[in-house]
Amino acid sequence: MWKGFAHLLKKDIGLMVAGKFFLLALLSLTLYSCYINLVYVNLDQGTYRVYLYDPQKMYTGQSAFITTVNSRQELENVCSDSASVGIDVSGDAPEIYLLSSATATADHYRGLWGRAVLTGLEEEEETEIVGAYDKEQKSRREITAEFLFFELSAVGFLGLASIVFKEKQMGVIRVHGVLPVHKAAFILSKLSVFLVSDLIFAVLLTWLNVGIADSFMILPAILVQAGILSLVMALTGFLCAVWLPDFKQFSLFYLILAVFVTTPVFLAGQTGVAWDWIVFHPMYHLFAAVKSAYFGVRTSSVLYYFVCIGSIALLFYAAYRILAREMAKEG
Amino acid sequence: MHQFRCQLGYQIKNMRGDKLCIVTFLLPILVGLIINILPSVDFGTLGEAAFGSVQNDLPEEAVIWLQGIGSLTEYGTAEELKEAVENPSTQMIGVLRCAEGIRTVLSGDELELYETMGKTLPQLYEKRTDGTIFEETVIPVSTDYDGLRALLIAITLVTALFMGCTFNAMNIIGEKEDGVALVNQILPMRARTYILQKLALGFLGGTVSAVVTAFLCIETGPAQIVPLCALVVLSAYIASLIGLFVGRFSSGLMVGIVYIKIVMILFLAPPILFYLLIPEDHVVCLLSYLLPSSASFYGLMDLLGGQTDRLWIHLVILAVHAVVLSGSYLFIAVSKESRR
Repeated sequence: MWKGFAHLLKKDIGLMVAGKFFLLALLSLTLYSCYINLVYVNLDQGTYRVYLYDPQKMYTGQSAFITTVNSRQELENVCSDSASVGIDVSGDAPEIYLLSSATATADHYRGLWGRAVLTGLEEEEETEIVGAYDKEQKSRREITAEFLFFELSAVGFLGLASIVFKEKQMGVIRVHGVLPVHKAAFILSKLSVFLVSDLIFAVLLTWLNVGIADSFMILPAILVQAGILSLVMALTGFLCAVWLPDFKQFSLFYLILAVFVTTPVFLAGQTGVAWDWIVFHPMYHLFAAVKSAYFGVRTSSVLYYFVCIGSIALLFYAAYRILAREMAKEG
Repeated sequence: MHQFRCQLGYQIKNMRGDKLCIVTFLLPILVGLIINILPSVDFGTLGEAAFGSVQNDLPEEAVIWLQGIGSLTEYGTAEELKEAVENPSTQMIGVLRCAEGIRTVLSGDELELYETMGKTLPQLYEKRTDGTIFEETVIPVSTDYDGLRALLIAITLVTALFMGCTFNAMNIIGEKEDGVALVNQILPMRARTYILQKLALGFLGGTVSAVVTAFLCIETGPAQIVPLCALVVLSAYIASLIGLFVGRFSSGLMVGIVYIKIVMILFLAPPILFYLLIPEDHVVCLLSYLLPSSASFYGLMDLLGGQTDRLWIHLVILAVHAVVLSGSYLFIAVSKESRR
């Protein structure tokens, strides 16, 4: 019954090559890596700048945070970005001038910061550092986890579905109904091809962006999470592709998934916003697991793995039943 | 004019049967409704420093002082505080009691702003009783402004606007697949009429969707209506032009969807990421104006934040994009026509 499995695998790989799947994956890999290495790691938010207008040259201190300006007008101009603090010491009492950032607490802090810089800050004292990564390592891990999640959840889903639609058009499902190949083999061959290609993608993305030496210890955990995500998404893609009559209707699901399902997860991950309802979002847990894997934190509970395996089994069963129904429908 | 109206009516009727277009039209409106319904307590304020402390550890005075300059979260144990500080998604600064004042705990991966803030916070706390008297002038921008809410509204609106390209792109590709495009070539219809019809289709779809979403989410004052309308009209026009490009260059539905995906990612991700991460005058931020969506996004954020003085720059950038894109499309269309 499983004799034709190798042939099925060969056919699926052939279809992926013909559909330029590997080329697209390679292009995405290059694009993501260029973005991470050239742009993302260099992004930073600098300390609030302090501009000083001091015509009588009363200020004698030295501070790297202070820039002097020559007129009140110039002071108001440079402080128009709501992230700078202006200090005017030309009057009787020194005046702090700032454009509100619309957050009262942040404005208050900027005022205090301006005063402290003007009255003199001492050498920075030792602060307790509890994290294991510096800013660059953290940025690399964080954004690589986000790109991997996005690639596997949105793009992988589309890849498998496009192959199934192509096969549907070619009448492959009808032919399979009369072939002595088990229906499960039809699903399994696709799953394994996508799983392996997703895992290779995950390894390459991690090596290129986190570094081979740095990713040595975390790679097994990343592969486990990438495997789970890949299986869940591939099975969902397969299910939708077999179930929905045409690619246009499928693209509806894709649209909803890509824009409105992954965006809240992405925002919650990037900004650390505490949304209570996000725990009911199934993709959030998958995302959190991928991210934890990149930071070498073991947060996932036994329940998480149990639910994942259960969902994969359930999706597989649903895919199997729907494929059987489609084959029966096709005669 | 009457004929054009009839033709457009037919185009809209034709699109009514297309579920993809209807869902694309309704999704931003639905999200706008959800943003409106979500209680405002859900929206943490962006741009505010986050501090963490252990319950009953800090003196009352320090707690009040910290709440005045950021948000303060209390944790049950020092271990929980350490975990929160270490969380890579946040920029939280841990604050603990020290002999005379306070001391801070950092995770070491903070942005420069929060790293400096964490390292100098004990000194700022000490200086709170400093005798120097300062006058303070804070130029207000808006009274009730919620950073994250504004961000979500801007994302939804820009999505609604640039989804306008889906309407006509899908319509053109669908017609190509059904052979209508071939039939059109032998019908006495000029290429210009066809382009105008499709352009109007994408423009109307994007504008109506964005206007309804804006109506649901933004409480506009009379002074903001004109710039908001100008932003919406220009952005919807550009999106519609991009839809024409996608329709022209896609051989099939699958390729069209991939193009739309690329356009959406390319148009939506950079402005949001840059807005969250880098200062406005950074070179990367200026480069992002090469994408029309950046001008729309920053313009909307300015409008929502009540800043109207820089708005005309965004409108000019959008107008330049509109002219350049129209010119390129006309050039391509004319050169193809003459080749035929």
